[in-house]
Amino acid sequence: MTKYVADIFEILRRGQFICDNSPNQEMQTLYNIMEDKNTFEDLYDYFKQINYILEHGNGYFYFSRKEKNTDLDRKLNKAFEWIDWLDFLKSYDNTFDVGFRFTPADIASQLKNNADLKNKLENLKNIRGNKRSHDERIRKIIDKLEKENFIALEEEISETYKVLNSFHYLKDLVSIINISEEIDNEIPE
Amino acid sequence: MQNFINISELLTALNREKELLSEMFGKRKSIDYKYSDAIELVDFDENRLEFLIQKEVIRENNELLELSDTYLEFFEQILGVNEEINAAYIDESIQKIKENIDYFLNENNPARKHAYLMVIKNTFRKIGKITYRSVIDLRRNVENTFKNEPNYKNKQLKLKNLDEKRALIKSLIHQTLVLTDNDERTFYNRASDSELKLIIVDLKIQLNECSHNLIEIERQIIDYLNQIDLQGAFLEKLRKIKYLKDHFTLEAETNIRQVLSQRNHVLFEKRIAEPLPLSLDFLRNDDTAFESIKRIAEKHKNRLKEQPVLADQISNESLENEVEEEIMVDFEAIKNYFIATSQDLFQFLMNYDFLTPMSFDDRVTIYCQMASQYEQDFEITEEFAVEDTIEYAIIYPK
Repeated sequence: MTKYVADIFEILRRGQFICDNSPNQEMQTLYNIMEDKNTFEDLYDYFKQINYILEHGNGYFYFSRKEKNTDLDRKLNKAFEWIDWLDFLKSYDNTFDVGFRFTPADIASQLKNNADLKNKLENLKNIRGNKRSHDERIRKIIDKLEKENFIALEEEISETYKVLNSFHYLKDLVSIINISEEIDNEIPE
Repeated sequence: MQNFINISELLTALNREKELLSEMFGKRKSIDYKYSDAIELVDFDENRLEFLIQKEVIRENNELLELSDTYLEFFEQILGVNEEINAAYIDESIQKIKENIDYFLNENNPARKHAYLMVIKNTFRKIGKITYRSVIDLRRNVENTFKNEPNYKNKQLKLKNLDEKRALIKSLIHQTLVLTDNDERTFYNRASDSELKLIIVDLKIQLNECSHNLIEIERQIIDYLNQIDLQGAFLEKLRKIKYLKDHFTLEAETNIRQVLSQRNHVLFEKRIAEPLPLSLDFLRNDDTAFESIKRIAEKHKNRLKEQPVLADQISNESLENEVEEEIMVDFEAIKNYFIATSQDLFQFLMNYDFLTPMSFDDRVTIYCQMASQYEQDFEITEEFAVEDTIEYAIIYPK
């Protein structure tokens, strides 16, 4: 068994991801260790005994459980929040995806010539309130994304963030949702 | 339409209007060039513009001006910024070579034979250059289209068209190679020209390189097209989901509840702090634990000190009831008595029986208080008397 078990467990059980393309060297090391087929199987069996299931996504690892541990409402709220984020980020730049790099200033400058984006930012739930300025809101959403491990600060001086592999998780979630056919045709272009 | 008579006239004309032409060329994609804009660049001389229009260097279209196609194409080709990939030209060249080979084989006159051979050699050289250029243009255009074309559908269409061009160039390379390798053996045997052989070898090297480039371009185009498909589909899906969410029908119209209820991922869970008690053995045996305990104990001691010092118990004596007596003087009663007499106030007070012993000073104080309190009821005379060390005004009742 790898000596990094504790490190891996500490990260994953907090609901975070271990990403291949993280700017954090430690994360990369952990990912490389886990990627080894034998190690992965060992870890999988090991964590399974304590009711955690080690999942391997597209360039990222995360934990799930056998039993339900949260109510559906909480999950729905979370998913709704993610949909808003995704919608905002894709409006900012439709190539916003894994490996994309950006700074808060980039988004702020985009706000000036994209009224749609501005509107979306102002209507984001949990971000608005207290009459925050646009910059603060952008920072807030970036903080949240960083906290949930979908992006990471790559360069401190220029404040460049990088989108991590875990972003695939959000995209997968969107892809997996099926819209019933009748409604699908009713949604305006 | 008038043609330029010779190169020097053409170059002079172009040179004279270089400002206008370079401006029009630079803005050929961004804006419609207005007649009024152009006239400024030719020092407001309409004749100069008229000259260019006559020679068909530029074309007038209502109020707008544009570079004529011939010149536009020429400039683009020369400057290497053309977007059109002209594969037809290669095709033409191949035909031209074939024709000239026929002429060459039919001709007996060595001088004319040589002329045909020259044409063939030139054309071969040209094919190499043009193919090479086309490949470079193609690659640049593929990248530009993918990166800069904002409209998804057009991006996809443009890339598909570029892919067709790529296929065309590929087939032309193949045709050229057939021409040099398999066809017209007789011609090559008869011509036996060392320069021609050299040119063909160069051409093959160039074409080979082009083929390799084309393979890479093909891969790139497929990759881009796939990305566009995926991106487009994803964006469309996201837009729909967001629409449903904003209309509060996402739960009803999609399987999101089902999807989420199947996902028991830890990231949905609340992050709970785990209040774990420390192992007692660890606390007993570990040195660092001991250090920590000492440190915390230290803090704890300080905290005790900070507590307020307790006061002593209040003695029972303090709690007992005590009676305090105070002597009250009833000024009103004294006044009434005084009014009934004919004495002056000072003497009256000195002799008055207060029921308790009163010192001389107390009596003087009462005198002052009475005098100020009942000023209206007394008659304060201008006469003074002396008693002890005090000089006092003599006061009678009114």
